[in-house]
Amino acid sequence: MRHTLATLLTLIAILIAPAAWASDTLHVGIQLEPPHLDPTQGAAAAIPEVAFNTIYEGLLRVGTDDTLHPLLATGWTVSQGGRHYEFALRHGVRFHDGEPFDASAVIASFQRAAAKDSTNIHAEAWREIVAMHAIGPDKVAFDLAEPDGGFPTRLALSDAAIIPPGAVDTLKTHPVGTGPFRFAAWQRGDSLTLDRNPSYWGTPAHLARITFRFIADPNAAFAAIKSGALDIFPTFPAPETLAELGHDPRLSLAINPSEGEVILAMNQRQGPLANLLVRRAISHAIDRRALIDGAMAGYGTPIGSHFPPQSPDYVDLTGVYPYNPALARQLLTQAGYPHGFSLVLKLPPPSYARRTGELVAAQLRAVGIAVTIRNLEWPTWLEEVFLHHQFDLTVIDHAEPYDYDIYAKKDYYFGYQSPAYDALMAQLKASTDPLERHRLLGEIQRRLAEDAANAFLYQAPILGVQDKRITGIWVNSPTQVLDYQAARFAGAGEGASSGGAGLGGRSFAIVVGVVALAGLALAGRRLGARWLLIRIGVLAATLLATSVVIFVLLNVAPGDPAATMLGIDASPRAIAALHAELGLDGPPLARFLRWIAGVLHGDLGTSFTYRVPVAGLVTERLAVSLPLAAGAALLALALGVPAGVLAARHPDTLVDKAIGLIARIGLAVPDFWLGVLLVLVFALGLGWFPAGGFPGREAGLSALLKALVLPVVALAMPQAAILARITRASLGDVLEQDFIRTARAKGLSETAVLWRHALPNAAAPVLAIVGLQIPYLLAGSALVEQVFYLPGLGRLAIQAIGQRDLITVQAVVLLMAATTVVASFVVDLAQALIDPRVARRTGR
Amino acid sequence: MRRIDPALATGAALTALFVLAALIAPLWTPYDVAAIDIAARLQGPSTRHWLGTDQFGRDEFSLVMAGASVSLGVAGSAIAAALALGVPLGLVASARAGWLDDTLMRTADVLFAFPGLLLAILLSAVLGPGAIDAALAIALFNVPVFARVARGAALPIWSADFIAAAQLAGRSRSAIALAHVLPNMAAPIIVQASIQAGLALLGEAGLSYAGLGVQTPAPSWGRMLADAQTLIGTAPRLAVVPGLAIIIAVAGFTLLGDGLARASRGKGKH
Repeated sequence: MRHTLATLLTLIAILIAPAAWASDTLHVGIQLEPPHLDPTQGAAAAIPEVAFNTIYEGLLRVGTDDTLHPLLATGWTVSQGGRHYEFALRHGVRFHDGEPFDASAVIASFQRAAAKDSTNIHAEAWREIVAMHAIGPDKVAFDLAEPDGGFPTRLALSDAAIIPPGAVDTLKTHPVGTGPFRFAAWQRGDSLTLDRNPSYWGTPAHLARITFRFIADPNAAFAAIKSGALDIFPTFPAPETLAELGHDPRLSLAINPSEGEVILAMNQRQGPLANLLVRRAISHAIDRRALIDGAMAGYGTPIGSHFPPQSPDYVDLTGVYPYNPALARQLLTQAGYPHGFSLVLKLPPPSYARRTGELVAAQLRAVGIAVTIRNLEWPTWLEEVFLHHQFDLTVIDHAEPYDYDIYAKKDYYFGYQSPAYDALMAQLKASTDPLERHRLLGEIQRRLAEDAANAFLYQAPILGVQDKRITGIWVNSPTQVLDYQAARFAGAGEGASSGGAGLGGRSFAIVVGVVALAGLALAGRRLGARWLLIRIGVLAATLLATSVVIFVLLNVAPGDPAATMLGIDASPRAIAALHAELGLDGPPLARFLRWIAGVLHGDLGTSFTYRVPVAGLVTERLAVSLPLAAGAALLALALGVPAGVLAARHPDTLVDKAIGLIARIGLAVPDFWLGVLLVLVFALGLGWFPAGGFPGREAGLSALLKALVLPVVALAMPQAAILARITRASLGDVLEQDFIRTARAKGLSETAVLWRHALPNAAAPVLAIVGLQIPYLLAGSALVEQVFYLPGLGRLAIQAIGQRDLITVQAVVLLMAATTVVASFVVDLAQALIDPRVARRTGR
Repeated sequence: MRRIDPALATGAALTALFVLAALIAPLWTPYDVAAIDIAARLQGPSTRHWLGTDQFGRDEFSLVMAGASVSLGVAGSAIAAALALGVPLGLVASARAGWLDDTLMRTADVLFAFPGLLLAILLSAVLGPGAIDAALAIALFNVPVFARVARGAALPIWSADFIAAAQLAGRSRSAIALAHVLPNMAAPIIVQASIQAGLALLGEAGLSYAGLGVQTPAPSWGRMLADAQTLIGTAPRLAVVPGLAIIIAVAGFTLLGDGLARASRGKGKH
């Protein structure tokens, strides 16, 4: 416990220590946080987004022109009709840990990708490599089971990154590659930092540092880019704000096509959706233009099949199912559903999916299909829709390039099956002739459209917003990653950044402990040891009961975190091993005792999502939430108490009534709405404060304070209203009492009466409220943190629920509940010290 | 002549406005709230759309009306459930001094240790976010509130003369509790219920804003505000309107509660 406190204080010291703003640091916004950082062992698109072509590199890369360029390989030859490939490797390249890159690393990488327990997204494809051998250190040969014309292209994708054989076990948390940037730090739930690799084999990067901030929320993304907390947001989640951002002279927009197709996936295993006529009817019922206008603010291109329009192999099939609700109804009648039917549309969290889904549901209702929307978090979506196929419809962006092969997969989530399609895919795979491949790809698209395999909605645009001064970033579109190697700020010199200064946190904690003990001793002397012991006993019992309630509630929560973490193909053995690692094995009582014992030692467990100690996560977040709560408490006191005193001293006057009215209205104002209004006026209108976002420690004290001003005000106002009312009522009662009349009769001045007699007697109820407000400010700030996109404790809890990271939820809830209990204990104590009659009254 | 308390009158009027809108909305709104009209999106206020249209072309006034129903549904059922559970608990605690009273009140303390939002967070971790989870969280938060108020109101009644008379007449404690104590503690409970209803509305709006409450496509003031936040530069009206609706509803209930409290105190003084 003490240790945690010491760490916390050190962190706060680092946080507020001024540091120089480095102009060679790029702040990048990305929507999703990667679950780990090994692109060769996971499907999450966020992994390559931060780690590929930055930390890791492949043998080849895809250029903006959709052609292959050399990277770690300098060239290649193909023979035996596409069955034998030889790659010449770049000489003298080293991994970040100093290990050399050579043929053995390449072979080890692909052996690992193809291994039996591999979670590489293309593991099956890598198993087609029947033999690999080194021809000297700088040349490697691959023999494939079948001729494969697409093999070199696959080597340019992120799951083909070359990894150092000696460091494979820790790549997920400490990635090591050959790229122009090295891994530096990862603040879970908030940001990830990469530093320039000074010994890069090619031209070193211009940027000294890249910080990725994870922002999925459209509001927060808008606030962060508008306030300058981010320099670039390559896949911006709030298309409706682009028109406004485009007018900002500081920013420029980069709107590019992606490889992603947004589809309305239909579970066609059974029911109405197994009927081709119904699927065609649905395709006719959808107005793609309205979806693009309504959900994407007009950005996006309608598609008619599972293929991106910018590809040279694209065939425009949007005319196959033109928007025609009348025809859709007719087809439904023909299919035997003249009165429609009901479907469940399950939507994942991204805003494009939620908005598109809402519009699609309305359009389908218009042709008589009753659609019920269910909004799911990612883990639930993966489990229900992707794994267990418990859905009728879903909206999802298939972002991967060349992913038409999913329609040939056995038992893929939407359940499309077509021998004709499988035959086309087999032909494509066997063909290395570009003209023949072009023809086959056209056939593939037509087949999917003809079968209405899904309803194809629009090509997801890549909506980029960036600071105008940034140059040199090029979009490596087919592989979904940006290349930051040549990125730089125009006119930026070499910036210097300095670390923060530490503080003797431990000694400070000891001082706090001594003060607390002294306070207790004093209270014991004045109020009696028995009273104090009973209070402490009640405190301990309440804390214990609280922890039991939290533990029981969260242990009946559905869903196995280990199964969710390991994903689709996890073996029962792996799940059991992870259970043990996370402390989820054993009977409930043993688990509870283990948890409590850990908590008492400052060990809050390991986060399911991030695989790091929860205590560290909480400490990072407290560095934001504590100053926020403390600032708001002080401001509320500074405004509320004087206002209440003023009103009580002039009872039934205009002043009293005005203060009473303002306080009443203040009580009804939601603090998060007040936050939005403050943003509207003081950030967007007057530009005095940032609209949101937390600039990070390196920004310096003044930037940090500026970022906290509006949230503190929003949080404090309703609390000030409460304090004003309580002060008014309490002081008003006291001022009417006889002893005040006596004091006045003695000839004491009004000020003396107020300070010496009235205020001390009126303080108890005010203190009680303050005691309730402090925990509220810590927990209740979640909404205000959401408005201003601050990485605080409350948002950690909300994020953790989204990720079903129950161990983190458990820890945060326990911490907040404990704060409440301890705060009310301290208030009891303070009240008793001010007025010992309280102790006698409650001392049963 | 008795003067009408302006706070009470304003509170009653605002509450009536809110409840009326909430009751009418399921039967009639100017436009269908599910009808999406992309061509008509983000229009300013006009004679056709009094509060303009939202990002999907839906009529904002109709959405505010429908949002009132959802808010009243969640907050109302939460307060009703909390009353149904909390008042009997408080009454029992007041009737049986000793270990039962202590246990009940300490349990209330434990529940009270969870700030309302936290309770909702905890519940949505277990149940998944939704309107029911929000209502349940708000109800649970309010149970100890009503238990305390009920106990506090009942305790002085037990020592009143007419109770002693009933006891002498040989009636059981539970019969006395129901026939004599409960009716006499109605005033403070109604006052508290009105104030808590205001807080419940605020809680519902907050949960929906955070995405833990009412889910799409059901309209909700909190979510309308969340959806409008990115449009704040182009259509600030969409962020302001749901906030004002929340304030009107919450202020209505709290003013009503204040007014009722003053009225019942005034009666007590005579």
